Amino acid sequence: MRVVIAEDNALLREGLVLLLTSSGHEVVATARAEPEILPALLAHRPDVAVLDVRMPPKFRDEGLRAALAARRQIPDLPVLVLSQYVEQSYAAELLGGGATGVGYLLKDRIGRVDEFLDALERVAAGGTALDPEVVTELMSRRRGTPLDTLTAREREVLQLMAEGRDNTTIAETLVITERSVSKHIGNVFLKLSLPPTDSGHRRVLAVLAYLNNS
Amino acid sequence: MKLAEAIKRAGRATFQLALAAGLAFFSIIFITVLIITLVGTIAVVGAGLLPETVLLIRRMAGMKRHRVAHWTGREIPEAYLPLRGPLREKIGLAVRDTCTFADLRWMVAHYLYGFLVVFAVPLWPAGLVVDGVRSGLLRRDAVVLPLIGRLADLDAAWSYALLKPPPKALLAERVTVLTETRASAIAAHSAELRRIERDLHDGTQARLVALSMRIGLAKRAYERDPQAARKLLDEAQDQAEEALTELRHVVRGIHPPILTDRGLVGAVRALSASSGLDVAVEFDGLADDGPRAPAAVEAAAYFLVAEGLTNAAKYSGATRAEARLTRLPNGLRVSVRDEGRGGADDAGGSGLLGIRRRVAALDGTFNLTSPVGGPTLIEVELPCVW
Repeated sequence: MRVVIAEDNALLREGLVLLLTSSGHEVVATARAEPEILPALLAHRPDVAVLDVRMPPKFRDEGLRAALAARRQIPDLPVLVLSQYVEQSYAAELLGGGATGVGYLLKDRIGRVDEFLDALERVAAGGTALDPEVVTELMSRRRGTPLDTLTAREREVLQLMAEGRDNTTIAETLVITERSVSKHIGNVFLKLSLPPTDSGHRRVLAVLAYLNNS
Repeated sequence: MKLAEAIKRAGRATFQLALAAGLAFFSIIFITVLIITLVGTIAVVGAGLLPETVLLIRRMAGMKRHRVAHWTGREIPEAYLPLRGPLREKIGLAVRDTCTFADLRWMVAHYLYGFLVVFAVPLWPAGLVVDGVRSGLLRRDAVVLPLIGRLADLDAAWSYALLKPPPKALLAERVTVLTETRASAIAAHSAELRRIERDLHDGTQARLVALSMRIGLAKRAYERDPQAARKLLDEAQDQAEEALTELRHVVRGIHPPILTDRGLVGAVRALSASSGLDVAVEFDGLADDGPRAPAAVEAAAYFLVAEGLTNAAKYSGATRAEARLTRLPNGLRVSVRDEGRGGADDAGGSGLLGIRRRVAALDGTFNLTSPVGGPTLIEVELPCVW
């Protein structure tokens, strides 16, 4: 895949370049400050962009704003936003309006190389990758909702589904068969009174919309 | 003014004036005592009496202040230096306090104007006759008896002018208050630094040591037992991730990153969106890209809203809450309210205690009302310039 990286910290930028090139991807451009991001994306039209939230010159949320701005100019440009900390409202902004090809992860997750690359490919393919910490927070936020009626296993399945993982990965992670994953998902949708959806991105969005509004 | 009312008010004024006369009479005796003390002080023998004498003057001035406040409904502020420490220091403070001289000036003046009651005495029979006729036969308002009230007003006005602290004393008092709050702010700040140091030392540093150790062991095992090496590396990665998580918590506790990113308005909006409650947020005089309060004030306001909403969601049983931020001419007011079951307090290690400390360190005021049955209202005002 052709990747553009926007990261101001040299250590992390070089680490990411090393990680991606050694995994067979091509880093076509890197941006070190906010003004470099958009031109790089427009010039190279990468398969996926990896952006740090906090960038020079103001060190606030330039990366996030650049990601949103880029997607207005290049619709459906897959973006994976990385941050030192996660904030639910940022996730909501990125996923607003049923966006596809969006990822939002803690920088910590880069260390789990295989999972990180998997998330990157998922985003490039139009899927979702949402940090487990965001999902946990979303799910723990309110009591007295139909979420309480889920079994422990169903909650685990819902958590992984909201992170954007497919049935095969969920089955592998929980060491159960794909058939029982489908069964659990069916139960979750039934208990939350969500219309049944085929596997894929729309399913994730339905679950996230539910968690956001509950 | 109707007659009955005029008589009542004149009676009250007479009482007021009589008390003033009593006090003035007492001050004549007192001035004699004072002269003796002064002579004694010069002769060193009576030096010990000076602070006591000053305190007594303050008590008498205090009585007058109280009476005047009672009559006019307007308090006369005090700005005395507290007399503390050993005798020598006390004498120094008593002499240096500009209020001491202001009080003496008042006392001498009061010795003269304190006997206004003398004029009230003849006004009474005259007033009862004149005003009785005016009111009974002519159906006119009383004119003589209200004069007694005017006498008491005069007494109050003069006392106010003489007893209000000189500007210098007000400044001196402000300096005392600022010195105290600055000391407690520095104490709170160092306590905060110690807490952060402990968190980093016990948590993050310890984890990094353990992590480095595991990598070292993995290197040794690498050739001989690759499987063991892999297990060690797995553990090392877990340690690294835990260290990062802890570090994130420490950072959040120092200064929430979203405040840097989005400012107080954006940060509070994010808080209310993720609280799990239906929160009505109101900003008065604050805007997304408007002027910003100092970082410490923003952080205190943020933590207050966070704590208030967390408590509301966790314990109050309410489904709705309100957060309001108002920009004041020289400060910021923050309030969080919920219609839950109430009964919240800031004792017993609750998060509210930490907020109260934070607010006190910034010279702010903290008010919590939470009767059993609700509602709960936390109100904080933080002084700042912006």
